[in-house]
Amino acid sequence: MNSKNKRIVLHQMWTTKSLVFMIFMLFLSAGMFAQGKKLVTGTVYDNTGTVLPGASIIETGTRNATTTDFDGKFSLEVAVGGSIEVSFIGSTTQKVQITAASSKLEVRLQNDGYQLAEVQVVSVGYGTQKKSDLTGAISTVTADNLVKGTISSTEQVLQGKVAGLNIIRPSGDPAAGATLRLRGGTSLTASNSPLIVVDGIAGVDINVVQPADIKSIDVLKDASATAIYGSRGANGVIIITTKSGTKGVSVVYSGLSSVGYVADNLDLLSANQWRGYVRQTGNMDAVDYGGNTNWQKAIEQTAISQSHTLSINSGKVDSGFRASIAYLNNEGVIKKSGLERISGNVNAYQYLGDNKDVKFDMGLFANIDKWHPIDYRIFERAYNLNPTIPVYDANGNFTSVGGNIYENPVEILTNRTVDNERHRLLGYFKTEVKFLNDFQAVANISLEHNAVAGGTYKPTYAIMEGRTEAGYAQRTYAEYTNAQGELYVNYSKVFGKHSVSALAGYSYLENIYQGFGAQRSGFVSDAFGYNNLGAGYNYRLGDVYSYKGKSNLVSFYARANYNYDGKYLLTATVRRDGSSRFGENNKWGTFPSASAAWKISNEDFMSGTKDWLGSLKLRVGYGVTGNQDGIGEYKSLSILGVGNDSYYDPVTGTWSLAYSPKQNPNPDLKWESTRQINVGIDFGLFDRITGSFEWYQKNTDDLLYTYEVPQPPYLVGTMLANVGEMSNKGVELTLNADIVRGDKFTWNANLTLGHNIQKIEKLSNPTYKTDVIYSGSLHGLAGMSGQYSQVIAEGYPVGTFWGFRNAGLDENGKIQYYNAAGNVVAESALVDADKTDLGNIQPDLTMGIGMNFTYGNFDLGITGYGMFGQKALNATNMMLNDPTRLPSYNVPDDFLGSGITSSPKYSDYWIEDASFFRLQTLSVGYTMPLGFKNSKLRMYIMGENLAVFTKYKGVDPEIGLNAQDGVDQTGLAAPGIDKYNNYPRPTTISVGLNFTLNN
Amino acid sequence: MKIKITAAILVSMLFTISSCTDLDEQLYDRVEDGNFGNTPKEIDALVGGAYSSLRGFADGISNNYPTCEYVFFLNETVSDEATIPTRGTNWYDGGQYQDAQKHTWKADNRMILSAWRYNYTGIAKINSIIYQIDKSSLTANAKAPIYAELKALRAYYYYNLLDLFGNVPIVVDFADTALPTNSTRKQVYDFVEKELTDAIPHLTGNVVYSKMTKNVAYALLARLYLNSKAFIGTERWQDCIDMCQKISGYTLAPDFFANFATQNEKSPEIIFAIPYDSKAGTVGNYMSSMSCHYLHKLTISPVGDYPWSANGMCAQPGVYSEFADTDKRKKCMVAGDQINLATGTVITMDNGEPLTYTETVTSVADAKENEGVRLGKYEMKAGETWERDHDLVVIRYAEILMMQAECYVRLGSADLAKPFVQQVTARAGEEMPATIDLNFIDKELLKEFTFEGRRRTDNIRFGTFFLPWWEKGTTEAYKAIFPIPSTVLTTNKNLKQNPGYPLN
Repeated sequence: MNSKNKRIVLHQMWTTKSLVFMIFMLFLSAGMFAQGKKLVTGTVYDNTGTVLPGASIIETGTRNATTTDFDGKFSLEVAVGGSIEVSFIGSTTQKVQITAASSKLEVRLQNDGYQLAEVQVVSVGYGTQKKSDLTGAISTVTADNLVKGTISSTEQVLQGKVAGLNIIRPSGDPAAGATLRLRGGTSLTASNSPLIVVDGIAGVDINVVQPADIKSIDVLKDASATAIYGSRGANGVIIITTKSGTKGVSVVYSGLSSVGYVADNLDLLSANQWRGYVRQTGNMDAVDYGGNTNWQKAIEQTAISQSHTLSINSGKVDSGFRASIAYLNNEGVIKKSGLERISGNVNAYQYLGDNKDVKFDMGLFANIDKWHPIDYRIFERAYNLNPTIPVYDANGNFTSVGGNIYENPVEILTNRTVDNERHRLLGYFKTEVKFLNDFQAVANISLEHNAVAGGTYKPTYAIMEGRTEAGYAQRTYAEYTNAQGELYVNYSKVFGKHSVSALAGYSYLENIYQGFGAQRSGFVSDAFGYNNLGAGYNYRLGDVYSYKGKSNLVSFYARANYNYDGKYLLTATVRRDGSSRFGENNKWGTFPSASAAWKISNEDFMSGTKDWLGSLKLRVGYGVTGNQDGIGEYKSLSILGVGNDSYYDPVTGTWSLAYSPKQNPNPDLKWESTRQINVGIDFGLFDRITGSFEWYQKNTDDLLYTYEVPQPPYLVGTMLANVGEMSNKGVELTLNADIVRGDKFTWNANLTLGHNIQKIEKLSNPTYKTDVIYSGSLHGLAGMSGQYSQVIAEGYPVGTFWGFRNAGLDENGKIQYYNAAGNVVAESALVDADKTDLGNIQPDLTMGIGMNFTYGNFDLGITGYGMFGQKALNATNMMLNDPTRLPSYNVPDDFLGSGITSSPKYSDYWIEDASFFRLQTLSVGYTMPLGFKNSKLRMYIMGENLAVFTKYKGVDPEIGLNAQDGVDQTGLAAPGIDKYNNYPRPTTISVGLNFTLNN
Repeated sequence: MKIKITAAILVSMLFTISSCTDLDEQLYDRVEDGNFGNTPKEIDALVGGAYSSLRGFADGISNNYPTCEYVFFLNETVSDEATIPTRGTNWYDGGQYQDAQKHTWKADNRMILSAWRYNYTGIAKINSIIYQIDKSSLTANAKAPIYAELKALRAYYYYNLLDLFGNVPIVVDFADTALPTNSTRKQVYDFVEKELTDAIPHLTGNVVYSKMTKNVAYALLARLYLNSKAFIGTERWQDCIDMCQKISGYTLAPDFFANFATQNEKSPEIIFAIPYDSKAGTVGNYMSSMSCHYLHKLTISPVGDYPWSANGMCAQPGVYSEFADTDKRKKCMVAGDQINLATGTVITMDNGEPLTYTETVTSVADAKENEGVRLGKYEMKAGETWERDHDLVVIRYAEILMMQAECYVRLGSADLAKPFVQQVTARAGEEMPATIDLNFIDKELLKEFTFEGRRRTDNIRFGTFFLPWWEKGTTEAYKAIFPIPSTVLTTNKNLKQNPGYPLN
C-alpha cells in the first residue's frame, strides 16, 4: 500500500463518520417533537476528568441506547421522569434521573477496581495477557500511579509501589542511581537487580526511558513468571511498556520547578561550643583559628531544579505516533553536584492489510546526561574540620590546615573539575505478521548503546592530589552496545470452552564493551584543564589504556497457556540459554516453570457470594531461574594479560610490560540457579477493594563468590566459583481500596507490605571449603584497616553484624563488653570467641502506602514508604565519638555529655535500629478544564521527603545496600553501614504545571 | 496478501541472519595462554613477569597496595628495630601490629597471610611461566638458561618461605592442581640449595643490575648457609664464607646513602634490587610515607609538595641511641624537631603540640602522634609522587662483607673478620673495636641494615629474638617460624599447622 492510498482511506473514514453523525443528528431532531420526551445531551468523563469516548448510555428498562462520541459527548431522547444508565468497561455503572430541567449532563464514572483488573492487560514477556488470566505473581503499576516529583532516575518511580520490591537510594545525589531488590536478592557477588525489559527488549538500562514516556510497568516476581527469561530471571523482571500513539491528537506539556534544601545534618560543635569546651577544660595548646564555620553548611547549597516535558500524540485507525522531548536540570544540595539531562523519544507504528495483518512498530529513545561527580571524601572532612577554621584565610585563599583527613572540603569541591557525560540510545524495529488465522510471527531487532565520557582536572594548586602531581588531567571513555534479534511465533485458538495459546522463540544477544582512557600529570600551566593531556610532562607507563570484550547469549524459549471455561488456567514455560561467559563444561542451561490458577469466583457454587466477593483466584507456580550477571567475560579461561606488570631492562635502562597469567581459570563456571515456589491469592471485595496475597520460597544454588582457594596450588588465593546456597522466603500483600467514590469527593488508598527472611544455607562443597566470609569492610576508617563488621555464614542472612556485645559505659566512660559467658569484661579481656550475632540489615517489614483524594477539581496525593526492623552500623558516629578528636577535630554535640572515653571500637554499641517511615510526597493540585475537547490545565504544588519518622541517630536511616563512596556495588557484600557516606537527602518543594491540549 | 508474503520473507531473512548458536569467547585485549611465547620478545615479556612479581600485587589485604609492603611490615615489626604503635585510633587495625610487637600473633594475622600469598603468588607465576616456556617453540638449549633464571628466582621465594614458615609445600608444576602437603623445613632447605646450585652454571657471570645472576645466586646460598643452624640445626659457616668469596664485581659505595638515593641503581654496591620507577607506574616502596607524620611534608617542601604520609611505623625505643652521633648512618632515622620550611619554625600539630619525633614511645597500644623516630633511609624529596623512583635494595655488598665477618667470628677467627668489618665501619665514620665479638656484629648489623627488612632473621640467628625487649616478654622457640595462615589451612585440609601453634 502506498501513502497515497492510505490518505484516501483516511479521508473516507472521516467522511463516513461525519455522515453517520449527521444522520444521527437528524434522528434526534425528529424525536424532539415526540410527546413527554426530552432530548438530553451530556458529556461522560472518567475518574480523572478525561472524556470517555465509547461509553454506553441506555434509557433504563428500554432498548433506547447510544454511545459517546470521540469527545465523550452524547445525546439521547429520554422520557421525562425516567432515567439513564451510563456505563463503561472497568467503571461502575451510574444512573441519572431525567427531569424536565435536565439538559446538559456531566457524568463522571468511577473506576471499578476489580472490573478494571479483569480487563487490564499485563506484559508477561513476549506477549501480553489479561490480568485475570495470569497464573504467576505479577504486579502492575500504571502511569497514573508512578511516583512523581523531581525524579532523575527511573527506578524512583516505583518506590513503595510494588510489594516485595525494595528501592533504595544510597544518597540524595541526583546523579546517583537507586538499587532495586526484589524479594531479598539472590546473589552475593552478582547483580541483584531485576532484569529490565523495555518494549520487549531485555537487559537494557532502565534510565534509557524517562518517566513521562512510561505507560505501565509490570513487575514479574515469581519464577513461574520470570522463567521465560531463563538465566537472567532470578532477580525478577521489570517490564516497561512505553506510550505509543493513541487515538486522537494531543499535545501535553509538563513543567516543574523546585527548591531543595538539606533535610538534616549531623549536630556537631559550633565554633562557640568548641571554644566553650576549650575554656572549660583549660586546654592551652588548643589552636583557635579564629573562624566560625559550619563545615557541613559550607559544602551545601539550595538546589534549584526544573524539568520540562513536551509530547505530541497522534493516532488514527491503523497508525499512530508519539514523540516527546524532555529537559531536566536537577541541582544537588551539595555544591557542584547535580544532573542535567535532555532526552527524546519517538514511537511510530503502522498497520497494513485489510485486517491489520502486518504491523510495523519502531521506537527510538535517546538521552544525554551531564553531571559533575563530587569526591565523597568531602563528607568525612566536613565532619572532621575544627569549626574555628575559616573557609578562606585573610587573603581570600582557601585555608589549608594540614592534618590527616583534614583537607578543606570547600577547596576540594571548588578546585576540582570533573565533567561526565553519558549518552544512552535504544532503538528497535518490530514486525508482527498474522498468518494462518491463529498465528502471529514477531521479529524484533534492537540496538542499545551506552557511552560515558569523562574529564577530570586537579589543578597544580589543588590541595588534594593536585599539588603533589603538579596538576593532574584525565580523560576516559567507556561504552557498550547490546544488539539483539528476537523471533517468536504466537498461536492462540478457542475451542468451545477450551482456549489455548502457545509461543516459541529464539533470541540472540551480543554485548560488546570497550573503552580507553589517558591521564597525565605535571602541568606548567592550568590553562588547559583536561583538554590538552599532551601538555603534561609527567608520563607514566599505564597512563593510557584501552580494552574491549564481548559476550553473547543465545536462547530458545517456549510457553503454553491453557484456559478452561475461564476457571482453570495452566501455564508452562521453558527456556534454554547458552552463554559465552559460562565455563566450557557448562555452556547451556535449561530453565523450566509451571503454574496454575483457579478462578474460584467463576464457579457456580460461588454465585451466592457475588454481592461481596467480586473475584477470587488462587495461583500456584514453580520455576527455575538463573542469574549470570556475576560472571564477567572470560572468567572461565586461562588468560595472559598485560596489566601494570612492568619490568626493568638494565641493559637498555628502560621499562617494558610483562605478559602474565591473570586468574585461576574455572571451566565449570556457570549461572546461579534459583528454584522458587509461589502461592498467591487475588481477590476483589465489596466492589471496592482489590488485592493480592503472595507466599514464596526460593532457594538459590551455585552461589557465585570469589572464594578463598588454597595457594598453592592455585595461582592466586581467591577464585570465582559456584559453591554456596541461599534461601529467601516471605509473604507480600497488596491492597487497593476506593474508600469513598462520590460524585465530587473520592478517596482511594493503596498499601503494599512485604516480609522476607533470608538465610545462607551453605558455603562449602566437596571442593571449596569456607567456614565464614568476612564482609562489611570497615576499611578506610582510622585504625580499622582489614577489619570487618559482618559475616556471611551458614544459618545467617547476608548483612549479619558479628562482633562484641557492649555492656554500657563503666564509671570511667570506657565501653564495657560481655564475654561469651555473659560476664562484663573490659575491652582488653575480649577474645574472638566472644564475638556474636548482633542483628542484621534485613528489614522485617517493608511498606509502601499511597492515598489520593479528589474534591471537584482539586486533588490531593500522599505517598510514603518505610522499612522496619533492620539494623545499621552507625560507623560515622563510632568514629566521631572519639575522645582523642578534641580539640583538633570536631565531635557531635552529644559527645560532650556522653562521657565516652574509649577509642572507637566496633561493637553493638554503634549498631542501631534503622527502622523508618518516610513521607515521600505530598501534592495538592487543581485541574482547570479549558472548555474544549477535554483540554485542561493542572497546577500543583508538591513536597518531597517532608518527614522521616525514625529513631536512628545518624543523618538518614536509609543506607545504601552496599554504598561505598555513594557508589552502589552490585553484590550484597557490605550493606547497612553508615560510613561517612551520607550525601544528604534533600527536602524539595516543587510547583508544577500540566497542560493537555486535545484536538 | 502481497504484504503478508513480503513481510514473511522479511521476517525469515531476519531469522537467517540471527540464526547462530556460536558461544566461543572472542578475545580482544588479552590472549589465551596457549597462544603466547613464540618469539624472543614474547619470551622476554613472559620472563619479565617473574621479576615484576617481586614487587608483589594487590591482594585485597594490604590496602590493595602491593604486598611486599606487608611482608616488610611483618619482618620489621616482629624484630627489635621497628614497631607500629597504635596512635589514637590509627593503626589499631584489629591489633595485628600490637600482636606482632608482643609476639602474640595468631594464624589469622593478615600480615602473615599477606606474606604467604606474596611468596606463593610469585611461585605460581613463575611456575606458569615455566609452563609457557615448555610449550614454546624454543630449542632445549635455548630453554636451559631461561629455566635456570626462573628457577633461581623461584628459589628466592622458597628461601623466604623457608625463613618465614619453614614447613611449606613445594609446588613446581603449574599443571598439577592437586592439594599439596607440607614438606619439612629440611626438605625446603635442600630444595632451595639444589635449585640454586643447579641454576648457577647457566646464569650469567656478569654484573647485571636487578637480574638473577651467578652473583645473586651465590649471595642467596651464602644467606642460606649463614642461617643454616637456625633453619635446620646444621652449622655451615665455612660454606657461607666460600659462597661470599665467589662474588665479584662489587664495591662499597663511598656514600652510604647512595644505596638509598632516588637513582640508587647507580650504586656499585647493590647485588640484587627490586626496581621501581614512577614513570613505569610501579606502586610501592614508600616506607617513609608509611612512617612519617601527616605534616612531615612541610619539612620536605615549603608548600607540602610530598605525598600523603600515614604516621605509622617507627623505630623501637633504644634503636636511635644505639648509634653514635658521629655515625654517618644515624641519618637513616628522622628525629627531633621538625621544621616547617615555609616558616622556619617547628611544625605545630593539629592538637597544638610541636611535631618533635621522640625516641621514647609511651606504649605500643597508645602512642602519641609525634612519638617514635621515623624511617628516613630512602631519599625523600619534594615533588615525589606516590609511585617512588628508588629501588628496593634486597642484597648489597656490605652484607657479603658482614656475613664473612660473622662466620669468621663464629669459627673462632675474629682476626680474619677485621678486614671485612673495617670497610663497613670506615664508611660509617666509626672506629673499629679492639676485639670483634658476636655482640659487636649483632649491633653492627642493626646499624648497617636498619629498616632493610632483614632484622628478624638476624634476631633469630643471634637468639635475641626469644629474649624480652620493649613491650615484649620471652618468646617461645616455636615462634621462630610463623603459623601457616588459617585460611590456607581451612581451604587445604592436607596441610598441617606448624608445631606449637593451635591447630586453627
